[in-house]
Amino acid sequence: MSILHEWNALQTRRRFLGKGANALGAAALTSLLGRSLAHAAPGAVSTQHPPKAKRVIYLHMVGGPAQMDLFDYKPKMKEMYDKDLPDSIRKGQRLTTMTSGQARFPIAPSKYNFSQFGQCGMWLNSDLLPNLGKHADEICWMRSLNTEAINHEPAICAMQTGNQITGRPCLGSWASYGLGSENDNLPNFVVLIATPTNRDQEQAISSRLWSSGYLPGEHAGVSFRSKGDPILFINNPPGVPDDLRKQTIDGINQLNRLNYETVGDPETHTRIKQYEMAFRMQASVPELTDLTKEPEHVFKLYGEEARKRGSFANSVLMARRLVERGVRFVQIYHNNWDHHANVNGRMPSQCKDIDQPCHALIEDLKQRGMFDDTLIVWGGEFGRTIYSQGGLSRENYGRDHHPRCFSMWMAGGGAKGGRIYGETDEFSYNIVKDPLPINDFHATVLHLLGYDHERFTFKYQGLDQKLTGVLPTKVVKALIS
Amino acid sequence: MRQPLALLLLAASLGAAEVVPEKIVFNRDIRPILADKCFHCHGPDPGTRKAGLRLDTEAGFFVAAESGDAPVVKGDAAKSPLYQRLITQDKDDHMPPPESHKELKEHEIALLKAWIAQGAPWQPHWSLVAPQAAPLPRTSDDAWARQPIDRFIRAKLDAVGLKPAPEADAATLIRRVSLDVTGLPPSPALLAKHLPKDAGRLSDAQLSALVDELMALPAYGEHRARYWLDAARYADSHGLHFDAYREMWPYRDWVVKAFNRNQPFDQFTVEQLAGDLLPNPTEDQRVATGLQRCNPTTNEGGTIVEENLANYAADRVQTLGWVYLGLTTNCAQCHDHKFDPFSQKDFYSMAAFFRNTTQGGLDGNVKDGRGPVIYLPSDADRPRWNALPGEIAKGNEQLAAARKLGTPLFEKWIATAKPADLDADIPAKDLVARLALNEGKGLPAGTTAAGEPVTWNKAGKTGPAPVFKKGSHLVVGDAGDFGTRQAFSAAAWIKADKVEGTGTIVARMDDPKAAQGWSFFQSGRNLGVYIISKWPSDAIKVVTTRNAVNTAYQHVLMTYDGSGKAAGVKIYVNGALAETRGEVDTLKTASKAATPTRIGQRSLSEPFHGSIQDVFLYSRALEPGEVTTLSKLGTLRQSLAGKPNAQQRDALREHFLLNRHEPFRLASNAVARLTAEQTMIRARSPLTHVQEEKMDSPAMANVLIRGAYDKKGDAVPAEIPFALGKLPADAPRNRLGLARWIVSEANPLTARVTVNRMWQELFGTGLVRTSEDFGIMGSPPSHPELLDWLAIDFRTHGWDVKRFYRQLLTSATYRQAALTTKEKIEKDRDNALLSRGPRFRMDAEMLRDQALAVSGTLSPRMGGPGTKPYQPENIWEVVGVGIQVYRPDTGENLYRRSLYNYWRRMAPPASLDLFNAPSREVSCVRRDRTNTPLQALVMLNDPQYVEASRILAQHTLLAAGDDLARLDAAARRVLCRPLKPAETAILTGSLAKLRAHYVAQPADAAALLGIGDAKADESLPKPELAAWTMVCNQLLNLDEILNK
Repeated sequence: MSILHEWNALQTRRRFLGKGANALGAAALTSLLGRSLAHAAPGAVSTQHPPKAKRVIYLHMVGGPAQMDLFDYKPKMKEMYDKDLPDSIRKGQRLTTMTSGQARFPIAPSKYNFSQFGQCGMWLNSDLLPNLGKHADEICWMRSLNTEAINHEPAICAMQTGNQITGRPCLGSWASYGLGSENDNLPNFVVLIATPTNRDQEQAISSRLWSSGYLPGEHAGVSFRSKGDPILFINNPPGVPDDLRKQTIDGINQLNRLNYETVGDPETHTRIKQYEMAFRMQASVPELTDLTKEPEHVFKLYGEEARKRGSFANSVLMARRLVERGVRFVQIYHNNWDHHANVNGRMPSQCKDIDQPCHALIEDLKQRGMFDDTLIVWGGEFGRTIYSQGGLSRENYGRDHHPRCFSMWMAGGGAKGGRIYGETDEFSYNIVKDPLPINDFHATVLHLLGYDHERFTFKYQGLDQKLTGVLPTKVVKALIS
Repeated sequence: MRQPLALLLLAASLGAAEVVPEKIVFNRDIRPILADKCFHCHGPDPGTRKAGLRLDTEAGFFVAAESGDAPVVKGDAAKSPLYQRLITQDKDDHMPPPESHKELKEHEIALLKAWIAQGAPWQPHWSLVAPQAAPLPRTSDDAWARQPIDRFIRAKLDAVGLKPAPEADAATLIRRVSLDVTGLPPSPALLAKHLPKDAGRLSDAQLSALVDELMALPAYGEHRARYWLDAARYADSHGLHFDAYREMWPYRDWVVKAFNRNQPFDQFTVEQLAGDLLPNPTEDQRVATGLQRCNPTTNEGGTIVEENLANYAADRVQTLGWVYLGLTTNCAQCHDHKFDPFSQKDFYSMAAFFRNTTQGGLDGNVKDGRGPVIYLPSDADRPRWNALPGEIAKGNEQLAAARKLGTPLFEKWIATAKPADLDADIPAKDLVARLALNEGKGLPAGTTAAGEPVTWNKAGKTGPAPVFKKGSHLVVGDAGDFGTRQAFSAAAWIKADKVEGTGTIVARMDDPKAAQGWSFFQSGRNLGVYIISKWPSDAIKVVTTRNAVNTAYQHVLMTYDGSGKAAGVKIYVNGALAETRGEVDTLKTASKAATPTRIGQRSLSEPFHGSIQDVFLYSRALEPGEVTTLSKLGTLRQSLAGKPNAQQRDALREHFLLNRHEPFRLASNAVARLTAEQTMIRARSPLTHVQEEKMDSPAMANVLIRGAYDKKGDAVPAEIPFALGKLPADAPRNRLGLARWIVSEANPLTARVTVNRMWQELFGTGLVRTSEDFGIMGSPPSHPELLDWLAIDFRTHGWDVKRFYRQLLTSATYRQAALTTKEKIEKDRDNALLSRGPRFRMDAEMLRDQALAVSGTLSPRMGGPGTKPYQPENIWEVVGVGIQVYRPDTGENLYRRSLYNYWRRMAPPASLDLFNAPSREVSCVRRDRTNTPLQALVMLNDPQYVEASRILAQHTLLAAGDDLARLDAAARRVLCRPLKPAETAILTGSLAKLRAHYVAQPADAAALLGIGDAKADESLPKPELAAWTMVCNQLLNLDEILNK
């Protein structure tokens, strides 16, 4: 007697596993990226207060932009050119080994012109950021971020996950875990790596930055690639047209249904759903990544660079298309801000990469009525030193890492437009007013998304783990509209 | 909050979840409540402890606290402050306080009340107590049991009113056993051999024979090693920043061998933790210590060595904790553990075991990570490798004797010597050209310019130096007219402006004529030599392997003996022989380039960026002593010009003796030749990272306040965690002492943790679901008595790994069919109680290996450097600093087992990654197992699977028969069983549609068949093969195939 006969003999008269999805009832099997049954939690954690932002576009400037060359205007430094940084300012604080051996710490004033923008009167580098300046009153400027980390790897990790030590979930994963999915055909959390025009000194970017850490695997970022298939293996092999693919998936699913009827493993049912989802993704991603339907005025707004796959402008435009389709969190990395040398040769191209696209993104989201509930974040992992690393001239200099203060900005999604938050000393070295530790920044972002960072937790290794860690952390109300 | 399922089931088995059991068991009923709701403020961490009250120790409950009263009065809840604080309405007194966001449920309060009423019996945490031998439980059907373990499983099923599933049919069981023992599906021959002739179930004897046969295959060790390498966080890259290559694979191969020779697990452990500290350690025992060197390391500029070393040690403690102790020791890196009795001091006492080593803080982005490593020469090289240290020592004795003999002559010479006298020592024999290149302006003597004139940098090595860049180089002319079978040497001082790209130092090379000629060049951080008749089929290319070039002035020199072999080329940097690798070694023809010799460029390409000075060309291979002389002369002249200090005098003496004292010269060249031989063997031998103890200092560490490397607290000696006891008094206070304690009976954890992990491999989930955490917040065991029974059995049977697996594989529990009923879904949804056979999606590597195996393409070759199978572009390229390009292998390496895949931590193999393979950045003892559409895309579209489908289709078509026979054959190969009629109908339907498409669209057929490195069989009609390829791909995508 075959096993199947034996099994059928054991069965009660009542068939418990029908052919439809309803047979599985509460076992939620419909997430895009799939949950194994061990993780069959509902798709979203309900918000803890009304959210102001429904989605996030986070622009991370890898390497650490120099705050005093862009946002943290320090006019007095002009008179301090090539003078030594006073010990009273440095206070013997820790430096990286790249400059700790320097005999002198000569001050390098910013070579750029600054002017005031908007009603709020924000001082900005007017040579390199004229377009961003147009939105001064819609942007929440933060000049007092600070971090514990002094080197890239731990600093990016801290900025993204709240902790220098690798292995924790990043902000995007937390957002995905909390907000759940709005689109069954696309991932919740997408990562784009933009290629800078200048690639002199890029820093490491690795997939650990968008790993889900201890959160369930489906909350890991899905990296949309700028070369080859936008999602790994999304395209059929050559010689397999879509209708044939549909037929083969239908065949696989029919066979799997037969198997399910005899074995009864709920995971089989999930698999059937996931193959269907895979096909839908195959159908929707090409449409998503096809920019040819974007009208001319869009390219006028974002710039011609937006046509070039993998450019920052292109990535930002893609981000808009993604959030438009319900993706919750888009993380863009833009590299080469690590200006240890040759600020003069590198800063203009870095700013050219981002200035118009950032302006375009704000403008575009406004036109589509999405600005108010889409949070845009811009910033690096730390700041840079006022003193020069290596050779110094009026026109050119380098700057080492500086964790004690750096600048970021947010816009839309409940961020307070026109706010200028935090102040540093005249050397842009120490914070003198309203320090903003990255954990407070994270707490504030979670607040905008509708979560109380103290209660937005995940049980792991016995602890209620949270993005903001164990130190006292607060939501900064001044940053919220 | 989700409760571990097993706990719910346990509760369910005792009645409705809300009923207070008759007899309260502290570990089961009370501790989980306290741990979740109270330990944060009243647990082991004094840093967050409130009111001096702790509820994680027995004393904490019954000894008077700061407030004056003992929290619990045995037998009297009304008088117990602990209980009163839970029920009081007074907001100030109520526990837990509102700001903790925690609250006890009524049921939980009732449990605590009942516990106190029953006299508050306390228990230490289960995993910290030695395993207890329990008698085999009686069950409803003892005859069902085939192994003792079945009695434990059955008893629990009885308790919840479930019956086991029927035994799986023979084919299913053979497939399951084969996959579990070897990681591969059964071969058709094996299946045929073991399928009972009567089509019945496998008898005990038949199953036993099958298990034995499979365990004897080398694939057994490969499969076991794959799990272990996750735990060991093995990878082929350093992990951080550049994430460059790390040579470590001999450790991986050692693990495979250890499993295959069934090394007892205690020895396996001691060798990996302390092989180097064993008496007279063997090479294998030292290779085994690689476990401790698998942690990620960095070479990021600006990082601080001390901080890196603290991180490396912390990683080792964390790994040890997860793998051997089932304790999340990492929680105590910054503070005392919140739940488990593991203090910060314990953490650093453990770290102390791993800090007293010779490892440096920066890995140099080189494959040896700047050591310590050992080299593993081939069998052919072994005799010389072993003899060389003795011969070199003897040579050095002769050298010392000659030095003594010649020293009076040196004393006499130096009394009157002048810098210019040294020029006489420049080797003059066969010198064909010397170009000083230090004129400081215009065109250097002996050259003609080509392209833009060179500029001059005032601060050169020997006077002003010319600066070369793209578009500028110097033509020397006829000197250096060496043929490919002619010996010669070239030397120069160089200062590279950059350490990327390729730049020619000196060459006579004809680019348009297949690069005929010779070239001495810089390539990135390395130097190289070309000797070419026709590139690449008739040529030699030799490059240095260990980042020889930096951006300072360096003396570089190459010699070639005219032998026509890569081994005839040597490269020296600052007088020292560099390790080299022959990348191309195909030279056959003697030829000569018809183009002038040039400095700074070949005839057309590869311009140098930087300065080149003091070029020498010789028409013979210089002796090592002559190399030394050329490289040192400049410095010696400077020393002699002033008043030489003791060090400079020594250098001058060595130079004098080398050039003017024949016995010394002979001895020196002899030693140099032996050293060169040693260097060359080293260069061509694999190496692997090992652990090495500093022998002159005790194992100590400082507590780091909040884990920060620069905030040092008390120094603590190496010791095991306090709650687990102490090292025996006579044990060495180092890793050997630790290792022996780990596998001793005194340690209650390791045997349990190990059997649990092995159980998890076969059954998908451990008896303790949280395999890395046996602490208070980990899941409690689903079958505590069974876990203890297994632990004791494993230890008392000599930690015999094969025996252990055999016991599980032949159990009735394991043999069950994986069939689910509604009742089982309700009472045992995750199969934690084993009410049916194991069925779960296989790990990434097993899926790929299975596809290779069933298509008959799997290579049996074992071991060696990491392989690079198909992978889409731009996976490696976008991570890490700098750009590392992934170049897939061709041929056999595309079809090796996935265990051998090159593992780059920042971008692990993409198709494996999507099936939850870990990055290996940290230890992983339990993989996630998700079910995602991205996985479907891999199985459908990854060339590896498309090609495997096509090759399976080829085999199927080459076998005789009609469509039905062929479908059946393919299914038997993949599923190990015949098709059912309903399945045949679906596949026949698919085939018809596919066939119609590919007959109508021959271009599609050709495109599909073009996928993969292995060429499609031309004898088969393309549309037919294409249609079958897609059918086979459907088979490979079946849920039944993705599952074990």
